[in-house]
Amino acid sequence: MVGLSAGEKHFIQGGIAQDLRADGRKRLTYRPIYVETGVIPQADGSAKVKMGATEVIASVKLDLARPNPSQPGKGKVSLFVSCSATAGPMFEGRGSEELSTELSVALQRCLLGGKSGAGAAFDPSCLSIVDGKLCWDAYIDGLVVSADGNLLDALGAAIKAALTNTRVPVANVPAGASLDEDPDVDLSSQETTRIDTSGVPVIVTLTKVGRHYIVDATSEEESQMSSAVSVSINKERRICGLTKRGGAGLDPSIILDMISVASHVSEQLMNKLDSEIAAAEADEQDI
Amino acid sequence: MEYVNPEGIREDGRRPLEMRHLHAEIGTVARADGSAVFEMGNTKVIAAVYGPREVQNRSQQLNDQALVRCEYTMPNFSTGDRMRKPKGDRRSTEISLVIRQTMEACILTHLMPRSQIDIYVQVLSADGGTRSACINAATLALADAGIPMRDLVTSCSAGYLNSTPLLDLSYFEDSAGGPDVTVGILPKLDKVTLLQMDARLPIDIFEIVVQLATEGCKAVANYIHEVLLENTKQLEYRRGL
Repeated sequence: MVGLSAGEKHFIQGGIAQDLRADGRKRLTYRPIYVETGVIPQADGSAKVKMGATEVIASVKLDLARPNPSQPGKGKVSLFVSCSATAGPMFEGRGSEELSTELSVALQRCLLGGKSGAGAAFDPSCLSIVDGKLCWDAYIDGLVVSADGNLLDALGAAIKAALTNTRVPVANVPAGASLDEDPDVDLSSQETTRIDTSGVPVIVTLTKVGRHYIVDATSEEESQMSSAVSVSINKERRICGLTKRGGAGLDPSIILDMISVASHVSEQLMNKLDSEIAAAEADEQDI
Repeated sequence: MEYVNPEGIREDGRRPLEMRHLHAEIGTVARADGSAVFEMGNTKVIAAVYGPREVQNRSQQLNDQALVRCEYTMPNFSTGDRMRKPKGDRRSTEISLVIRQTMEACILTHLMPRSQIDIYVQVLSADGGTRSACINAATLALADAGIPMRDLVTSCSAGYLNSTPLLDLSYFEDSAGGPDVTVGILPKLDKVTLLQMDARLPIDIFEIVVQLATEGCKAVANYIHEVLLENTKQLEYRRGL
């Protein structure tokens, strides 16, 4: 990435202070969001989200498996993010490991809930087939194709869209079949069920530059940040996860202020996303 | 196992000499110098080119030509069963090498000494013919980046099942264990730059299958020409010409 000169840095910081960013946006305005679902034919659910030049793809794949003995009525969900080398030469080979791990852990915290399953984005009992014996394992994979800042928000949106797009096949287990070895599961009926994603939160990242916060930072603006707080908020305006990045220390009152700003912004973002996802799903059905 | 039914229709409804639907887009990754998405049926591949730029590893610098590097990756979700290790496995390394050698042969590297060109190819969805789709996508991305080349490189695969030569194998037909021939050509110069085959074929049938794959390559070349022409028209229009 080309470095920024002192004049350019001053320009970015000054613009943010005057509520007029380098691309003309206000501090709390998102870039245009573009959602497309069903982009990976082999996956059970998938979506692509573009926010300006940032482009990410999320896919959901379902595999038959045994449920966890401690949670017999629920399926297992796992989430991993990786950064493709197409986003930049710094992601070549093993260069993407650090960022991938950071994004994976932050998303797991926001969307998968705690060890007991409390606070998860969606109820994994919809993935159960036979209590205690057979369930669906959901593998959620995120891929960053092009990086221009605000990866966490884009990945959160893509995962929400991919989950909405997921069709869980209806599995018929013949009565009396022994479930201790691999049973003959009948997947031939073309029926599918959907996952209830109304509880899936959106992630809003607030980046602090100087004395002001901005939403949806580009990678140039992110290079000037002192710290960033990512808040995951659901429809009921409840916080589902919180991450702070960046070296500068923040006064607790500032953090509370950032959370309340994020909460206001999340409502707009949630509505925009819901309408974009619905439009994308309708487009996909027409095709 | 029947791959071509008695009426001459394949498993996905195509005729034996029919290619899958092609679709390409240029300039999808804004930060890259050149990028393209190439689809052959359900196989979808994205390629990004960064360069020519300064060589990162001084010891690899070449004083009379550009260094061409290539990385091929398949994410976990791209195939039917989820893969364990997306990068660095043997197949990925081999395909990276194949793509690099094919593209290096057609880029005019002597025009850019002491520089480096990186080609990153990412498979989004794999359904047979990934090698060919990657080479086609890389060609488009290099053209989008404005890197001087002798000619476009296009690639296509062909096989032989149920005593019928088949063009552009899907994953289902590829996993049948029959012969799979991948050909890469320079269409205008009419030269072959890539030829790979596995399994066995009698020589006269081999000639027929290679000829079929070459025809497929030429059809891809025509499509790529159209895409590039359309892209140039769009650029002209945006400049107000």
